[in-house]
Amino acid sequence: MRELELYFGPQHLGMVGNFSITLQVEGDRIIKAEANPGYLHRGFEKLMEQRTWIQNFPLVCRINVVEPDHMELIYSMSVEKLAGIEVPEKGKYIRSIFCEMARVASHLFGAWAYANMLGFDTVANWAMYHRDLLLDMFEELTGARVYHIYLRPGGVRRDFPAGFTDRLVKTLHKIGGKVPDYNATFFENRLFQKRAEGIGTVNREEAIRMGAVGHALKAIGMKHDIRKIEPYAAYDQVEFNIHTRTGGDAYSRLLTIRDEMIESVHLIFKLIDKMPKTGEVFTKTPNPFKWKIPAGEAYVRCESSRGELGLYMVSDGGTKPYRVHFNTPSFNNGLTVLEKALEGESISDVGNIMISLYVVAPEIDR
Amino acid sequence: MDRNKISKWLKNPGKMANKYSFHVVYFCTGCGIIEIPPSITTRWDAERFGIIPVATPRQANLFLITGYVSTKTLAAIIRTYEQMPEPKYTVAFGSCPINGGMYYDSYNTITSLDKYIPVDGYIAGCMPRPEAIFIGVTHLWKLIDMDKADGYKRYREDYVHYRANQEQILGELDWPPLFSKENL
Amino acid sequence: MINKLKQKLLSDFNDIQVNIPEDNRMIVNTKKESLLSLLSYLKNMGFNHFAMLSCVDWIDENEFELIYILSAYPENDEQYQDIEKKNIILKTRISREKAKFITIIDIFENAEPYEREIHEMFGIHFEGHPRLTPLMLERDYKIPPFRKDFDTNKYVENTFGKVPSIKERKEGKK
Repeated sequence: MRELELYFGPQHLGMVGNFSITLQVEGDRIIKAEANPGYLHRGFEKLMEQRTWIQNFPLVCRINVVEPDHMELIYSMSVEKLAGIEVPEKGKYIRSIFCEMARVASHLFGAWAYANMLGFDTVANWAMYHRDLLLDMFEELTGARVYHIYLRPGGVRRDFPAGFTDRLVKTLHKIGGKVPDYNATFFENRLFQKRAEGIGTVNREEAIRMGAVGHALKAIGMKHDIRKIEPYAAYDQVEFNIHTRTGGDAYSRLLTIRDEMIESVHLIFKLIDKMPKTGEVFTKTPNPFKWKIPAGEAYVRCESSRGELGLYMVSDGGTKPYRVHFNTPSFNNGLTVLEKALEGESISDVGNIMISLYVVAPEIDR
Repeated sequence: MDRNKISKWLKNPGKMANKYSFHVVYFCTGCGIIEIPPSITTRWDAERFGIIPVATPRQANLFLITGYVSTKTLAAIIRTYEQMPEPKYTVAFGSCPINGGMYYDSYNTITSLDKYIPVDGYIAGCMPRPEAIFIGVTHLWKLIDMDKADGYKRYREDYVHYRANQEQILGELDWPPLFSKENL
Repeated sequence: MINKLKQKLLSDFNDIQVNIPEDNRMIVNTKKESLLSLLSYLKNMGFNHFAMLSCVDWIDENEFELIYILSAYPENDEQYQDIEKKNIILKTRISREKAKFITIIDIFENAEPYEREIHEMFGIHFEGHPRLTPLMLERDYKIPPFRKDFDTNKYVENTFGKVPSIKERKEGKK
């Protein structure tokens, strides 16, 4: 049989996002895969050097369109580390609750993408509907459905409105009450198991050598989670588990996503119980146009829903950052791990592997 | 809604049928893709307006450009647009295709989409809500009724100028001209 | 634990400076000749996760600074050891005129896309890299875009701002 070069290009039904893979195929099997990013490149790190510290704050959240809140969190954390600002106690709890809500919404989006690609349209519609209920909560708190611009250096922008936590608990009960239906229709369905078992396997020695992060590690039994390794915000005040599976294939990765989503819902209940009822939510920062931060460098990391997210920031004592570099989880998973995991698989599983590794295209290009 | 105007249907049934059944090309071009899945699923149902996504551009007649356009995406957009059969309509989302938007000083994004492919309407916002998408579509219906949504006719007449603009940004193009003097 | 590591490094290598700004970070400044041996030494000690490679353009001092960040994967599934909470930041400087360096793919395999990105954005050549083609950009820029002397506003004015609208082209031709 002869080899053929095939473009799994940007306009394709199995592709979520604007990303392209060049495949060398022989018959139905892939021999070599080469990722081709760059369709969404805006040059963020150069644009951020031309705006002041507070003007960057609405720009940062547009790096990852599915889950913008962890980008705001990591930018705020690194500016606070460079400038030496402390966040008050209630602000830390609000940050944790906000990020956990974003994690649940992002996992529901991932469930929509995966179920839509496999053809389970019923489950896809349910997942998108439940995500919309959460986006209504975000809209009541911040004023926008996506791109919230809520976590700023020094704390959060404003306090919870009256009765917000009760409405949030009711919404989460509505989502959680549907989990047995999700299980019966999708996760314990024999068709899904046959379609996802043994596909895109990444074993432990390969994952360590290729530098994988996120669910590719949790699916082989490694508890790599920055919320436990280096706790930030209010995560050291509550107890929660990290769910892992052994298996390393797409099936295990989807099950860890479901387990993490259920754990996040329970974690929000625990955080709401422990949160102090009164207190300040942000510390004041100086006049935005004249705020100068002392020279230095900082490297901070947090756990987004896709893996370990890091930010390296250098300041030279002026009103604008000198160098900003984001270390996003999709950069490693989408370029090194994906090219290795696709070798030997069939063409019909490319979208399957890409969505189960949780690669989203704007994070690679920035 | 003028669904009850039987005379319009009898006069030009092709145009009315074309208008009430938009098939959208499934191409996630930029940021705005985050508000398309809520519009096509059950909460804000787009199928009651006749909108449904299809797999290939050969079967489509509406092209939604959701968000900013980088130069690599511009080549893919032009190739997709030229594969669609006529009559076809283009709607641009967000504030980035209008004048560059938030990335006005980026070295990789274009500042105005109307210079490269013809755009029939714009929906403002960053991101627009699903209700804004539906208002945009109903406004496009009115434009089609008045025969003002003629982007594809302009593309056919002024193809030489569109191609000159595309070549000024992208350099030498890999594909031959769509309309030449013989088949115009 | 981190102080013991600092003593060990200072005794085994003789031209580095080690600095501990806070509890979980250690910054090591080194010369470019001893960077590879330092990386393999740290990898044998247990830091087997290559997290990031970054670059800063110090235009006033006429130098590039390359930054390598390492961390450690959890070994034991029961509880976290002390080494897994630390990050090591290695910094080295190279000249700005003839910017080139050696690749570290033999030690850490996942450094390949990071080096490709730095090659196209800053113009640094990495010797020994198997595939140094552009990752994201398509056009030719005279100065690599992330250097400090590349002015984005002027570039946008000269390329995207000079494209005329269709109406102007039609009137101009007539």
